[in-house]
Amino acid sequence: MNSVMVQANGKITVRRGRGLWIACLLSLALSSAAGAQEPQRDSIPTDVRVGILYQPAFRPGIVMPAIAASQELRELADSVRSIVLRDLDYSDRFEVMPVGEAVPTEGPVNYSLWDELGAVWLLLGAIEGSADGPVLRLTLHDVVFRLLQDVRAYQLPALGQTDFRLAVHGAADQVVEWATSSPGLAATRVAYVEKSPGGSEIYVVDSDGFAMRRVSRDSSIALSPAWSPKGDRLAYMSYQAGDPAIYESDLNPGISTLLVDLPGLDMTPDYSPDGTRLGFAGTIEGRTEVFIYNLERRCCAERATFARYSNSLSPSFSPDGTRIAFNSDRLGQLHIFVKEVDATSAELVTPYIYDGSVHNAGPDWSPLGDRIAFHGWVGGTPQIFTVAPDGRGLRQLTQQGRNEDPSWAPDGRHIVFASTRDGLNGLWVLDVVSGRIRRLVRGTAARLPAWSGRLDSPSVRQTEGVAGSNRNNP
Amino acid sequence: MASNWKKGADWLGAITLALIIAGCGGGATPEPEPQPEPEPQVEPTRDDAAEREAEARRLREEEERRRREAERNRVLAILAERVHFDFDRSDIRPDAEEVLQRKVTVLREYPDVTLRVEGHCDERGSNEYNLALGQRRAEAVRRYLLSYGVEAGRFATISYGEERPLLDASNEEAWAQNRRAEFVVTDHGRLGAGD
Repeated sequence: MNSVMVQANGKITVRRGRGLWIACLLSLALSSAAGAQEPQRDSIPTDVRVGILYQPAFRPGIVMPAIAASQELRELADSVRSIVLRDLDYSDRFEVMPVGEAVPTEGPVNYSLWDELGAVWLLLGAIEGSADGPVLRLTLHDVVFRLLQDVRAYQLPALGQTDFRLAVHGAADQVVEWATSSPGLAATRVAYVEKSPGGSEIYVVDSDGFAMRRVSRDSSIALSPAWSPKGDRLAYMSYQAGDPAIYESDLNPGISTLLVDLPGLDMTPDYSPDGTRLGFAGTIEGRTEVFIYNLERRCCAERATFARYSNSLSPSFSPDGTRIAFNSDRLGQLHIFVKEVDATSAELVTPYIYDGSVHNAGPDWSPLGDRIAFHGWVGGTPQIFTVAPDGRGLRQLTQQGRNEDPSWAPDGRHIVFASTRDGLNGLWVLDVVSGRIRRLVRGTAARLPAWSGRLDSPSVRQTEGVAGSNRNNP
Repeated sequence: MASNWKKGADWLGAITLALIIAGCGGGATPEPEPQPEPEPQVEPTRDDAAEREAEARRLREEEERRRREAERNRVLAILAERVHFDFDRSDIRPDAEEVLQRKVTVLREYPDVTLRVEGHCDERGSNEYNLALGQRRAEAVRRYLLSYGVEAGRFATISYGEERPLLDASNEEAWAQNRRAEFVVTDHGRLGAGD
């Protein structure tokens, strides 16, 4: 039936059919274990399809046997595989399936074997070249439709070199894109604030929790890191010169320079998505207002909020750069507002409640544009929420412990935030779609996380003469 | 003659002691009583009177120094008094007003003293909002002092948000203590920077 569908309905329909088929297979496995009678594969009515297909929590199985490599590249191959598997798991789009040692990696792909295991995707890897210049070749097979989905070779830095992990993350993101049409989030980093003897410093960690390192060396209080769109620089607030100001740190080679210093506090920086402007909060007449600084001309901080006798802070640009979400206490309670950057008026986004304990803060506009994440008090304890920019569809995402300062991943479905959970303090990552959650950074003092955009992986090159997507396996 | 001189020295010693006690009574930090100089057992000379006068002058200066020290400590203690705030508020409470009134008096007496007002918050609000709130608290204090005629140029303000708690605990008492404004003397003027 599946092959008929390929001809009759084309690619998309095929995929839907497959998703259904696997769901069926999984439930089949469960029910046969329970001794139930096996249903006919073809007997599932068509109208059920959409329902199952759009089950966001459904994760197709993916299997990746050991990477083929010569003996001298074995260690490298194994570490590549463990990075890729973790990335696929953390993408929250697959069920990463274990695989035995005895599976054949030579010869033509035995689709029936993987099919019986319940895998939807088969990822084969091979490492070629030398230890100094290894080349990773990844091949993704669609087990259900017995197709070669895609293949690509990646030039990797040598094992242990800077950017080795980032290059592998980039390859893993590509696999996610082949399978789901949208790239993964592995080749990204999270900046955050950690306690230090002088107060606090800025740290950066890879999306999988590895390669943690300190960025600022100010020996004072450093807060509120924000990524430049390319991910090569971080803006943050620091007290290093006594008077709080915004500094910009070049991550490579790690030089920090003064960016904005108006009289009073300068804080909560956020780059516009095109990197030409910096939103931040500054002091005027003793209160705090949002300003927009021109990064191209390196001057001209212009006021963007106008609310006498109250504070406006924590701007977050919309993906098109025309609007900002920000935090203000202008209504006597702390709320999230949205405004056109150039307009004077602002719209309230979070619901006004006649209650003294309203405290909504830390807005972050999703890179997809459709939601704004923030934290709001529930009975005096901060929890993570999302809401549409027009104030509709308010949704609470966390229940457990204190949860603060959310920041979106570039895929628009993962959020990193500071949480106390059940005493398991640290930075946590939540997949908004599936509800899966994992700890990224351990430690009571890690806070104010900021997720980078997608980082350019070093030298990803397309193999010549090898196919694009969905070519039949020879 | 020698015994007369010795009597005189005893008398001087007693005065010194009395002065030291008087000086201490002013609230100055007590210092160890200086050991009396070993008395030279030599024939007194004609400079005797002049020396006594020099000694008296030294004692007077000592007394003056101690009096100044005491006054300085009094002033610094008043200037250092913290003021506290209600949760998520920056208005000056009546108890804070008393504290600030004492500061006004002192700041009028010492017109060349300048201050940095530091605003602080408890840990409950968002980190970033607390920076703004701390700034507003420092500003509220500054405005209060300005309203009693202290010159604007004598104050700088800074906010530390919740970054520098006085008490590192999560309870009402700690929160109440941490919601505060602190005062750092940036120019001591004629109070002198001290030792």
